Amino acid sequence: MNTDKTLKTTPAATLDVQAVRAQFPILSETVHGRPFVFLDSGASAQKPAVVIDSMADAMRHQYANIHRGLYWMSERTSDAYEAVRGQVAAFLNAPSHEEIIFTRNSTEAINLVAHSLGSLMKPGQAVLISEMEHHANLIPWQMLRDRSGVELRVAPITDAGDLDMEAYGRQLEDGKVALVAMTHMSNVLGTITPARQIADMAHAAGALVLFDGSQAAVHHRTDVQVLGADFYTFTGHKLYGPTGIGVLWGRRALLEEMPPFLGGGDMISSVTFEKSTWANVPHKFEAGTPAIVETLGLGAAIRWVEVIGFDAIEAHEQALTAYALEKLADVPGLQVVGAPKQRGGVISFTMADVHPHDIATLLDRNGIAVRAGQHCAEPLMRRLGLHATTRASFGVYTSTQDIDALAETLVRIRDFFV
Amino acid sequence: MSDAAQDLYDLQIVERARNPRYAGDLPEANLSGEGRNPLCGDRTRLDIALQGYHISQIRHRTRGCALCTAAADMLAERLSGCSVEEAQAVGVRFSAALVTQDAIEQVESPPEGTPSLGVMQPLTAVRFHKARIRCVELPWVALKEALTHVRV
Repeated sequence: MNTDKTLKTTPAATLDVQAVRAQFPILSETVHGRPFVFLDSGASAQKPAVVIDSMADAMRHQYANIHRGLYWMSERTSDAYEAVRGQVAAFLNAPSHEEIIFTRNSTEAINLVAHSLGSLMKPGQAVLISEMEHHANLIPWQMLRDRSGVELRVAPITDAGDLDMEAYGRQLEDGKVALVAMTHMSNVLGTITPARQIADMAHAAGALVLFDGSQAAVHHRTDVQVLGADFYTFTGHKLYGPTGIGVLWGRRALLEEMPPFLGGGDMISSVTFEKSTWANVPHKFEAGTPAIVETLGLGAAIRWVEVIGFDAIEAHEQALTAYALEKLADVPGLQVVGAPKQRGGVISFTMADVHPHDIATLLDRNGIAVRAGQHCAEPLMRRLGLHATTRASFGVYTSTQDIDALAETLVRIRDFFV
Repeated sequence: MSDAAQDLYDLQIVERARNPRYAGDLPEANLSGEGRNPLCGDRTRLDIALQGYHISQIRHRTRGCALCTAAADMLAERLSGCSVEEAQAVGVRFSAALVTQDAIEQVESPPEGTPSLGVMQPLTAVRFHKARIRCVELPWVALKEALTHVRV
């Protein structure tokens, strides 16, 4: 108990990768007869045993529907579910747990804002995104534009893969932008965007700001108040938690003003056939039985991440990324895409004339899992003049041996093709 | 590289992708079609010169992986000189060889009267790599589009 508390308050700045790896059962699997080298955490992270166990334990010992049962088991499950809301609020340093809305994933969180806040927007107003958005932070705004006549603007990036801050400023000048919706970390380039500056400039121009934190929330500590955000989204499955659970944080005044997203049970205050009134936030935005078990799994994941501590996680991933950039530079013909000022644990690359799909298949035959393709960011690919890349992304369990295996196998693949 | 990968990246496929024989434009084409894979951005465009119901020539422009490029090139070679009907029969046979469990049997001893896969044969190794089947099917998507308005 005491040790646990010490760990939580003063996380070690270094990380014992082998000890971390030992907590991920899947990492001892073999693929095609080789050790499993997992370099696709940016798509979805693997799960530590405590997360897996917490979900199984919930279903074994503490499960019933929440917020409606008058019996002990339901109340206990409701308490556990709501406790995770508190945990998430602390994780983001949100002012109140009532500002935490559980969604299916980050995509759904953004769609919620696009529908709900979007319904309050008028033609003549604009939403501003960037060239390096994941489709999740592009398509919902395109759909809003097409349904409501709101303008959709796109702030350009530099060739290095950073947001072009001057151009961004110019896009805000006419005061029409009602919402800036931007990634906090690019899933393709690894760029960590200057969120505070983005938010300050947006606010000065009278715009609200939403950050897509799907990638960022995993790699460093997130403080929505320090960032100056109005909305922030992330997803559980990239944070070593289960799929099916994501988070939207929004400032209470905004959430109260916004109409509900989905209708159904749990989100109402009173219902007649003529008219219904809505529950208070956050329940107004959580229609139907939520992902109870997954939410508890997210709670376990956040607990686990906090015990390791973001100081250690960030230091580990930064060191690993630097190591990988150095190793990959030695692979003949390999070009890393982008050179952003600040990069998280994501590296996209191309290799001479070898197609990313061919690279990915041949890496896979050697037990190495990477992502290849357009990474749900087709317009970004076009902007970069590429049609696909191979992407290696790192997590808390990624080791230098994983990177070595990648680099060595890439050299062999190149020899095979060229 | 391991065995299964070597099967997939058969030298004939790799060589074909490196030096396609049927890549380029076909000024006398009267049909064309395109296949796109939104997952990877790959694209292949087929230009076809059709005389009556007879495919006299095919050229392709492919921006894709080794499998996609080889598949487009092999399709062009295999179907040049075929009737539209034969081309479609080859397509049916190829699809069957990619998806069904009896694919191997189909490939090794096809029912009588079915057209041979000929030069396309090495591509059938992709049946062991489900994620890549779309790569070799892309030129066939383009062919289907090109032949949309041709009634046999």
